[in-house]
Amino acid sequence: MAEKHQHDAPPSPYLEKRRTAAETEALEERVRRLEHLLTEKGIVSKKTLDRVVSIYENDLGPLNGAKVVARAWVDEAYRQRLLADATKAIKELGFGGLQGEHMVVVENAATVHNIVACTLCSCYPWPVLGLPPTWYKNPPYRSRIAIDPRGVLVEFGLELDDSIEVRVWDSSAEIRYLVLPERPQGTEGFSEEELAALVTRDSMIGVARINSPS
Amino acid sequence: MDRIARAEVADMEGVGALPRRSGELIFHDQWECRAFALGVALHEQGEFIWDDFRQHLIASISADDKTSEIIDPSGPGYYEHWLAALEKMLIEKSLITSSKDLVL
Repeated sequence: MAEKHQHDAPPSPYLEKRRTAAETEALEERVRRLEHLLTEKGIVSKKTLDRVVSIYENDLGPLNGAKVVARAWVDEAYRQRLLADATKAIKELGFGGLQGEHMVVVENAATVHNIVACTLCSCYPWPVLGLPPTWYKNPPYRSRIAIDPRGVLVEFGLELDDSIEVRVWDSSAEIRYLVLPERPQGTEGFSEEELAALVTRDSMIGVARINSPS
Repeated sequence: MDRIARAEVADMEGVGALPRRSGELIFHDQWECRAFALGVALHEQGEFIWDDFRQHLIASISADDKTSEIIDPSGPGYYEHWLAALEKMLIEKSLITSSKDLVL
């Protein structure tokens, strides 16, 4: 795989379109037709299709980061190595791709909640989190997160008690942050894989918590 | 439907492996995303066996002389094969009658 843009977010190589407009249109039509046939016959519903997309986008998105978090939850020695030198500890699991940037992992606790942002541009720990979500790169999040983090979190549906200290970490070209969320209750006895499946991208950016499995 | 991505889909290796970057699925166009969802949804509903679909996918990719090796996931190309494999699968299962139905 070409790694031309290792230094920062990698979107350009894979958003590059090598199909002509006519080719894309023909393919679009083919899929629309197929979808139409199958939904008409009641074989599959549009709702199901949307759910599949959302499940796979969420589940597969932050895979590497989720593995890091799950390992830290089950392996205390790894957790300590991760907090001491995240770049090295993440590399242990085989996730590289950083070029000189340091990874720093900040840990949530009962009294501390961490949030990652990049107020200057859109620095993001993409080797562990994949592509940044659109809102991460947008000025409203970038500017408001530093001024009113609690207010922004409320918009994400996360209301924090006033007793919880909120820390905002501003990423840069040199340092990329990753939040180590709290392990949810009710996960005793979960395997590392099962735990990793619970970890969401948003929880590792710090705009969400991980819910206890129902 | 499962809340979690199915391993047989997510963990395909080799020729048929999903284009991913840092774990995340790569879609270049909206239609790729729709085609992906159709294939996975029909599989999850038990309309066909995943490995049968995967074999069609691999066959389609392998038959394409432009891509002698694994498709570069950073560029488009994969979902054309996905779509072809899906159409073939659905015809086999008589969920659609013929590929002619699909072309305008």
